[in-house]
Amino acid sequence: MATRTVEVVTGAPALAAERAVTWPKRRKARLSNGLEVILAESHAIPKFHGELFFRSGNATLTEGAFGLAEMTATVVRTGTTKRVSRQIEEDLRRIGADLSSGAGADTSAISFAGLSEFAEPLLTLVNELAREASFPENEFERERRQKLEEVKLQRTEPGFLAGERLRKVLFGAHPYAQVAPSEEQVAGYKREELRGVYHQSYTPENALLLLVGDFDSDEILKLADKVFSDWKGAKPSPKSFPAVSIPRGRRVYLVHVPGAVQTQILAGCHAITRKHPDWVKLGLTNSLYGGAFNSRLVMNIREDKGYTYSPRSSVTALRQHGYCSVSAAVRNDVVAASLTEIFYEIDKLRSLPVPAGELADAQNYLSGIFSMGLATQDGLLSQLSTVALNELPDDYLETYRAKVRALTPDDLLDTARKYFDSANMQIVVVGDRTQIESQAALFGELEVYDAQGKRLS
Amino acid sequence: MNRLQIAIKNTTLANGLKVVVAPDSAAPVVTVGVYYKIGFRLEPRGRSGFAHLFEHMMFQGSANAPKMQHIKLINSSGGLLNGSTSYDVTNYYEAVPSNALERVLWLEADRMRALKVDDENLKNQRDVVKEEVRVNVMNQPYGGFPWLDMPPVAFRNWANAHNFYGDFADLDAADLSDVQAFFKTYYVPNNAVLLILGDVQADEGIALAKKYFEDIPSGPAPQFADPAEPEQSEERRGKVEEQFGTLPAMAIGYVMPQRRTPDWCAMALLDQALHGGRAGRIYRELVLEKQIAVEADGGIDDLFGYNGPTQMTTRLFHKPEYSSEATLAAFDAVIDEVREHGIGTDELEQLKVKWRSDYYATLEGGRGGSMPKFGLMHLLACFAIFDNEPQLVNTILEGFLAVTCEEIQAAAKKYLRNEKRAIVFRLPVKAGAKEAA
Repeated sequence: MATRTVEVVTGAPALAAERAVTWPKRRKARLSNGLEVILAESHAIPKFHGELFFRSGNATLTEGAFGLAEMTATVVRTGTTKRVSRQIEEDLRRIGADLSSGAGADTSAISFAGLSEFAEPLLTLVNELAREASFPENEFERERRQKLEEVKLQRTEPGFLAGERLRKVLFGAHPYAQVAPSEEQVAGYKREELRGVYHQSYTPENALLLLVGDFDSDEILKLADKVFSDWKGAKPSPKSFPAVSIPRGRRVYLVHVPGAVQTQILAGCHAITRKHPDWVKLGLTNSLYGGAFNSRLVMNIREDKGYTYSPRSSVTALRQHGYCSVSAAVRNDVVAASLTEIFYEIDKLRSLPVPAGELADAQNYLSGIFSMGLATQDGLLSQLSTVALNELPDDYLETYRAKVRALTPDDLLDTARKYFDSANMQIVVVGDRTQIESQAALFGELEVYDAQGKRLS
Repeated sequence: MNRLQIAIKNTTLANGLKVVVAPDSAAPVVTVGVYYKIGFRLEPRGRSGFAHLFEHMMFQGSANAPKMQHIKLINSSGGLLNGSTSYDVTNYYEAVPSNALERVLWLEADRMRALKVDDENLKNQRDVVKEEVRVNVMNQPYGGFPWLDMPPVAFRNWANAHNFYGDFADLDAADLSDVQAFFKTYYVPNNAVLLILGDVQADEGIALAKKYFEDIPSGPAPQFADPAEPEQSEERRGKVEEQFGTLPAMAIGYVMPQRRTPDWCAMALLDQALHGGRAGRIYRELVLEKQIAVEADGGIDDLFGYNGPTQMTTRLFHKPEYSSEATLAAFDAVIDEVREHGIGTDELEQLKVKWRSDYYATLEGGRGGSMPKFGLMHLLACFAIFDNEPQLVNTILEGFLAVTCEEIQAAAKKYLRNEKRAIVFRLPVKAGAKEAA
């Protein structure tokens, strides 16, 4: 920071020669019923992790209220034609397994992990949940009530309120604008709608099965074929989405929480999806800006100024659109000061090339933490699912680090100018308006809402 | 049945620093941890929150790695770093590509040898810590519930009962002399353990530990205050207002036996029976069957890492149409059932399989998939620092797998007693929750 003399380290050992990073071989297969399967071996512990994805999520269903995909996934685990809820939970425990089910904007998934010695009973149960869920009335009603309470509680969390408002502002009429259902929507869910979603979306042609862990690939593939291959079903028809109009000019959205002792800042703008050729460039630019502890944003507003504990920037890639965002929960009296620094660092990145040494540090960082995904079964699974669901090239993992290392200061300057769209950033602040309104209004035309989403002014 | 064996080599250096190396070259990544045997339980009186504030200061500069350079050095090597403060230990850890191992060891040794911080650093981190408390506690629904709410209700010894995040007045009162005194007292090599896990040979790890750490002078063995609690003989209750949340909540905590006793193993399995997810008795009865609560969770916080009075705690968030007393009565029915009838052999077998599976997951334990071997590091550190026996990581499982139904029922009768518990009611100020006791 300009205000401090930066001292340097004396005597730290140089880095030794880098050891090669070898990603495990992936085995890709398609079962006769169209189910795509991807496998990778990882033998550190006698367990395996898996995920059965469906390429349908809360934003992609063609009909019904928002959140039906999530509600469907929730109720799927509560009963099948063969087992009641209690039996499912005890059977999972009997084989030492964990299982969860849920849905995001673009996909639904059943995620599981268990002991390798019990791979067959676990896959058998997953198959049963994917095909023979019975949606018991009483289980549905209970889960719906729990969801209602969850939806109410979310409106008391500053982070949720900020994220919800930003998505509304960025995505307008597109279904990505919504991140959670309203109480009315949850109250209106019908069991028949859930069954409809299930029959349409939970099909082998719409699915992707990923397995990573301590197994022999040939054997587990045979097992998957035995368990899943007589499952039938086609892809659901695709949905057409409204175009997104990118908001122009900075505006400020204040969500008023009376008495809040801190302000949650979240600013964002449209960017790109994972498939875009600029994705790696944007990742590195973000990492240098605010994606790492050692980034400019964190060093400035945390380590130099002490405005906040956990500032960060991120790039979020949904299947059809992506966006950049910056967040920080700051002291009420430094809301304007924090926004000034947030934009100072963005504008600097858009104005001046990054010094070579800083670029090299950021490249080392991104390339180093990328290979940590190798070290655990679920880390590897998450890397493989990113590649598969975003339809990235097969050599994505092997070539990523070289791509990061090839980037130049000019690449970052171009990327910051394109995607850290300072002039069109949408700014959300969640806090007590009596303490922060005049500060927030310095940054653009102001709209004020309450926590329920009602416009106040 | 597959049994996982972790290769370990350990030694103690001339200055008293314990060193544990767990080689595994499957991935070109190495995890380094340094644990100091001091947590917030035994921080100085009048300085609540100081152990945690001090942890932040350890990132603010050491003799040869000034402020900002510490974090930069790790990140620019391709690594991640963090630290955390808990009841009885404070840890600092890094995961890096293995070519950065020596650099990390140099850095940890540099800050074990000499902290170099000034008033401006202290003011800066005091501000950061206050925002941490606001974002995690004061500005969050159910913030600090129950980990900050329970101690003042449950315990009588200040060591166990005070605000571990710190009263802001105490944070403000802390000065540089406190920082240096705390460092000099507790951050001596003979009060610490160094862990190196992952892509390193065992002998190489020990040799590197010697190279970087052995010339750090040891200090007088720290004197620790006695954290013992007077025997509890009555149920204790307290109330905390919930400013944001919409559901009435409660936490019920039962005093635990000392770690590494036979009762401890039985309680761990009993904890699994009660709190083991959706199959656990509490979730099953209160959420799935009776549908009084909408959320129920809990357990023993840091089973392997506590070194003083602690509890097994249940958290219940219940529907506003049920009173606190009705909810508590339903909870008590679950406890009474296990006290009176214990658990069956089939249930115990399920619990043991799940326990073994969870233990393996802990050993592999990434943290958010990005901090490899975090769980193994923590277990080795606790077994080294409290038991002087890191090899326990390969044998401790046997004790849990040997627990019998009779032992579980006996533990339930002995520990799950009203006069051994404390209850905190966290009640929304807004919603129309029914009156608690």
